[in-house]
Amino acid sequence: MTPRRLLPADVAPDDLDRPFWEGVEQHRFLVHRCRTCGRSYWPASSCVDHGGANMEWTEASGRGQVHTFAVYRQAVDPAWADRVPYVVAVVRLDEGPFFHSDLPGIPVDDVAIGQLVHVEYEDVEGGTIPHFVVDGR
Amino acid sequence: MRSDVSGRYSLVGLGLSEQGRNLGIAPRELRRVALEAALADAGLAPKDIDGVIGSSSDMFEDIRYLGLAPKFAYTMQTGGATPAWSIINAMGAIATGQADVVACIYGAAPTGGYLRRADGSVGGYGNFGFGYGSLYGLIGAPGAHALHARRHMDRYGTTSRHFGAVAVDLRANAAVRPGTIGYGQPITIDDHQASRPIVDPLRLLDCCRDTDGGVAVLVCSTDRARDLPGRHVTVLGAGTGHQIRNWWTGEMYDLHDDIAPAATTAFGQAGLELSDVDVAELYDPFTFSVIMQLEAYGFCGPGEGGPFVEAGGIRGGGTIPTNTGGGQLSGFYCTGFTPIVEGIRQLRGDGGATQVDGAEVALVSGHGGHGGVQGSSTHVTLLLGAGQ
Repeated sequence: MTPRRLLPADVAPDDLDRPFWEGVEQHRFLVHRCRTCGRSYWPASSCVDHGGANMEWTEASGRGQVHTFAVYRQAVDPAWADRVPYVVAVVRLDEGPFFHSDLPGIPVDDVAIGQLVHVEYEDVEGGTIPHFVVDGR
Repeated sequence: MRSDVSGRYSLVGLGLSEQGRNLGIAPRELRRVALEAALADAGLAPKDIDGVIGSSSDMFEDIRYLGLAPKFAYTMQTGGATPAWSIINAMGAIATGQADVVACIYGAAPTGGYLRRADGSVGGYGNFGFGYGSLYGLIGAPGAHALHARRHMDRYGTTSRHFGAVAVDLRANAAVRPGTIGYGQPITIDDHQASRPIVDPLRLLDCCRDTDGGVAVLVCSTDRARDLPGRHVTVLGAGTGHQIRNWWTGEMYDLHDDIAPAATTAFGQAGLELSDVDVAELYDPFTFSVIMQLEAYGFCGPGEGGPFVEAGGIRGGGTIPTNTGGGQLSGFYCTGFTPIVEGIRQLRGDGGATQVDGAEVALVSGHGGHGGVQGSSTHVTLLLGAGQ
C-alpha cells in the first residue's frame, strides 16, 4: 500500500478550511457553527439563514452514522489499485453535516446504511487524516 | 398559462461531427465540423452568427479558427448542464438585442489524450477528483453517483436488475441507430448482470463511456426561423434547479438533482402537463440516473422507477419512450448535448427506427457542475416542440 503523505492542497484549497485540518492534527473534530442559531456546517460555510459573519469552528462529537456508501471494485486512479475493494461512505454527523470518509476495519460487504460510526485519527507525514470507523469494529 | 417566452425562440441548425472513441481529431476541429454542419442544416453562413457560446473552456481559440466575426463570444461552465444552459443564455442574448443568431458549440476529445493528468498520464472525465474526498479515494463520476444509487436501493428496494433494465432498453435503441457506440450490439439482462462491478452498486454496463465529438446548435427567434429553409424546433419552456438546495436540507443523496423547480418553471412557461410529453431525453451518465429522473418528473411514483422500466415503461410504445438514440449510456457522450441532439431529431422526425410517431413535445434534461460539494449539480429542463 502506498504510504500516505498529505500535501496542503489535498485537503484545503485555501486557508478557510485550515482550522479544521489543524484541529484533526490535535485529534479534535471541528464543525463550522453559526453562533446565531447554532446550526452546524462542514466544510467552511455561511449559514443559510444568517450569513457568514458569525461563524465559528467548534468541537463536535466526532460521531455519526453511515448515510450512504460506494464500494470501489476497480481503481479509477492507478494510485488506488492496491486498495480495492475499498469503501467511500458519506457520514451524517450527529451535528447534522455530511462528511465523506472510508470505514477502515470492516469488510466492505458488511457495511450498511445506518451503522453508527466514530472518528479516529491517522497521523501521516504532513498532517492527520480523520477516518470514521463503524462502532464495535 | 403559457408564458410570453414560450415558443419565441427556436433551434434552427443542428450539426454533429462523428461521435466515437479515439477518433484522433483535435477538439477545435470537432467543433469546426459540427458548426459547419449546423450552418448547412440551417441554411445560414458564418457571417450570420453574431454570438457564440462555448461549453468547453479551451474555446477562445475557436473564433479565429472558425472564421467567425461575432459581436460576443464566451464560454460557460456548469458541467453537463452547460449545453442546455447555453441555449437559455442564447435566448437571453437575443431577447436583450445582443444577437440575432447565437451558436452554442461543444467539442471535446476525452478519449484522445486531451485530458492529460498532471503526472502526464491520460485520464478521462471519469478521473475527476472531489476535493478532500479524494483522500478516501472518492475519484471519478461512478463513485460520486453510486452514493445516490445506493441510497435509492436502500430506501426503495431498487435492484441491480432494475438498473440493468435501463441498460438493456437504451442499448436496444442504440443497436438500431447508426453512429452510436452500441450500434448493432444489443445486450441482455444477463450481460448486464455478468458485467464487472466498477463501483458498487454500479456495474460496467451501468456506466456510460467517454466519446469524442462535436455538436453545434444555432439559436434564433422563431420569426427568423420561419424564414429559413431548414426545419426548426421551438423552445416551449426552460427551467433550472440547483442540488445545493438539497445539500442544505440533507436530502441531496435521496434526490437526483433539484428537479422540482426546473420542471415547475419549464412546464409553467410552456403551459404543458407531463402527459403532453411524447418523448423524454434524459441526461444519463448512469442507468439509475434515468430511474431517479423518471420519478422526479412524475412519470412514475417515488421508488417505482425500477419496476416501471422493467415493465417496459421507457420503450417505444411504453408510457414514455426515453433516450431513443441510446442516450449517453449506449449512444455517445457529448455531455448535455446528447439529450438535446436526440430531442431535436425526434421532433424533426429523424429518429429512424426508434422514431416516436407524431412526436410534438420532447422533455430534455441536463445535469452537471457542482456548488462546492461533490454531487450538488445544476439541473436544466428544456421542453422542445416541433416547429410550425
